[in-house]
Amino acid sequence: MAANEITVKLDGVTKSFGEFTAVRELSLTVRAGRVFGLLGPNGAGKTTTIRMIVNITAPDSGSISLFGQKSDPKVQDRIGYLPEERGLYRRMRVSDQLRFFAELKNVRGKVIDSKIDEWLARVKLSEWKNKRSMELSKGMQQKIQFITSVLHDPDLLILDEPFSGLDPINVELLKEVVLDLRRAGKTIIFSTHQMEVAEKICDDICLLNRSQKVFEGSLREIKSSFGRNSVAIRCEGGDGVLDDPALVSKVVRHADEAQALLAAGADAQILLKRLIDSGAVIGKFEMVEPSLNDIFITKVTEAA
Amino acid sequence: MKKFLAVVKREYIQRVRSKMFILSTILLPAALSLFGIVPAIIFSIQTPPLRVAVLDQTGKMYGELKESLEGDSSDRNTQSDNTNQLSGLPRRGLGAFKLEEVHAGNQSLDDIRANLDQRMRARELEGFLILPPDFISNGKAEFFNRNPGDIVSLGALQSALNRATREQRLIDAKVDNKTRQELFRPVSLEAARVNGGSQARDANASFALVFGVGFVMYLSILMYGQIILGAVIEEKETRIAEILFSSIKPFTLMMGKLVGVSFVALTQLAIWGLAFSVFALFGVGVLASRGITARIPGVPLSHYFFFALFFLLGYFIYATLYALVGSMVTTAQEGGQLAIPIILILAVSFYLFLPVSRSPDSPLAFWVSMFPFSAPVAMLVRIVTQTPPLWQIALSLVIGFGTVLVIMYAASRIYRVGMLMYGKRASIPEAIRWARQA
Repeated sequence: MAANEITVKLDGVTKSFGEFTAVRELSLTVRAGRVFGLLGPNGAGKTTTIRMIVNITAPDSGSISLFGQKSDPKVQDRIGYLPEERGLYRRMRVSDQLRFFAELKNVRGKVIDSKIDEWLARVKLSEWKNKRSMELSKGMQQKIQFITSVLHDPDLLILDEPFSGLDPINVELLKEVVLDLRRAGKTIIFSTHQMEVAEKICDDICLLNRSQKVFEGSLREIKSSFGRNSVAIRCEGGDGVLDDPALVSKVVRHADEAQALLAAGADAQILLKRLIDSGAVIGKFEMVEPSLNDIFITKVTEAA
Repeated sequence: MKKFLAVVKREYIQRVRSKMFILSTILLPAALSLFGIVPAIIFSIQTPPLRVAVLDQTGKMYGELKESLEGDSSDRNTQSDNTNQLSGLPRRGLGAFKLEEVHAGNQSLDDIRANLDQRMRARELEGFLILPPDFISNGKAEFFNRNPGDIVSLGALQSALNRATREQRLIDAKVDNKTRQELFRPVSLEAARVNGGSQARDANASFALVFGVGFVMYLSILMYGQIILGAVIEEKETRIAEILFSSIKPFTLMMGKLVGVSFVALTQLAIWGLAFSVFALFGVGVLASRGITARIPGVPLSHYFFFALFFLLGYFIYATLYALVGSMVTTAQEGGQLAIPIILILAVSFYLFLPVSRSPDSPLAFWVSMFPFSAPVAMLVRIVTQTPPLWQIALSLVIGFGTVLVIMYAASRIYRVGMLMYGKRASIPEAIRWARQA
């Protein structure tokens, strides 16, 4: 797939439920073969946007195209969708369940059986193949649900909060799978409110807030456009210096570290000198890129 | 189409494999035969005979009364008149009597009454009957009973007394023995069905069959309607619906579900039908060899076809109603409440088979068999009793299945929108709006 090919394109899409407008005048472009992060706090309109892309609801106005054409049932078969609210048939065996969901995507026959085995092995659930899904733990069910979204080898994979509720080991496991799929040329839309997670796997992002787009573009570009104006500091003492608004616009204190966003026009060297002068013992002083979270907050305040 | 078949296959295989299906297949016939057998067993429980003292001041009644109340039942049935036939069954077990004649001698009536009253309190008697001297002309007697609530015994006593009195009045009117027997000989009424030609058929059996089939239909619709309701709610509650809707149209999904479950229902009915046929072929013979006659009604083959057709119609009409309810609610409890009106409609249309079978070509029968919710049972009754013109059968089917499509279309739209609105049950106006907007 060519790098410039467009998988999903939304143009001026609006959707309201009664009085409430869930998505307002949203336009965005998802390029083929990239991981596209649809980001924003709860209630920003992420899930509604995704539902319109997968053809569950229709927009009130605006247009949506998938793979260069209008969405129809055939196109639906090329999409894999893992909703945030997801479920399995409680009394159905895992393998039957997976086969059923594949059949709903028009994939059938012997191919499916080997694929099911392959994927179960990949997420380390092979021995659960013939168990009923009600016997599985929540994390296991979530991995099965993940398989249902990729089993039919979709060209576009849409994941809505795929990692919520998983332990770190399984998050790592699924993250690897997602990155492998991207390497195989698949397009992935990844929706989350957890900026730290998005930061690690997205190529492009779209920030949504209160039903509207705040920013869209490549993660690389936006980070470099913000420059390295943030400092990670670990020190004892010197608290007064970090609270000086002429130097630091914002401080986030973690357990043993603080992250300071430099005020406009302030110099990191001066901050370091002031800290030393104040008698602070410095363990770490490092220029870092702003976190996506910081970017988001800045963008939202700019827009307001 | 392939997706539709995938849904049908899933519904069918998952349900036929389930323990519920296997249990209900075995249990329902067991329960039905239990309902047939248990009352017979209860009625056959022997209670000790009622001891009743009779003071017969007419001097003519006691003999006849004793014979009719204590004599054995087969004897009694042949000589009993029609009004007695109804109480014939329970009297056998529950209303056995032991009579004892009291002679007045030179005691006063009050003394006798006090004496009998005392014996009754001492539990030597269950009751006593006083027939005054002018009883035959006047017809007024007194019965004192320790248990006035025992209406079965009271009824038996009254009809025996009636008969004895009538007999005595005839004797008094000098009607001879032979004429009396002639007067009391019961008639036999056999219902025959007119069918174009002169061929008479066993209408009783046909009616029993319609009733039986109607009842099985009613039960199956109730049972499978609940299954549909549960299936729709399950997908909402577990949130599978969202994944499904990203792959398949709600209408196709619902249609697949209904068809899949209808195959489950047909499978179950086929098993029951087969079991019944096996019983008909072998069981009847076995029973007959033991002196029990069980008649299996002869039914034209075309009727089986209509049974299947109208069963499917009934199933689909009510299953779509259940699906509609399922699409509006969020939990199984809510579904149960909202489904109550459906059960009412179903019950009313089931009982309509009575007036329809009484006059199958009346305007009422016509309209009832056209109205989609009552058509399945009503039309079936009409076909069996007095087959209506083919165009009426066809019209009823077209209206019925048309209704199914309309309800299904509305249900699938409400289902889709309802799934996206979290948490809240849809009110009727909301549901209508959803059906429009989806």
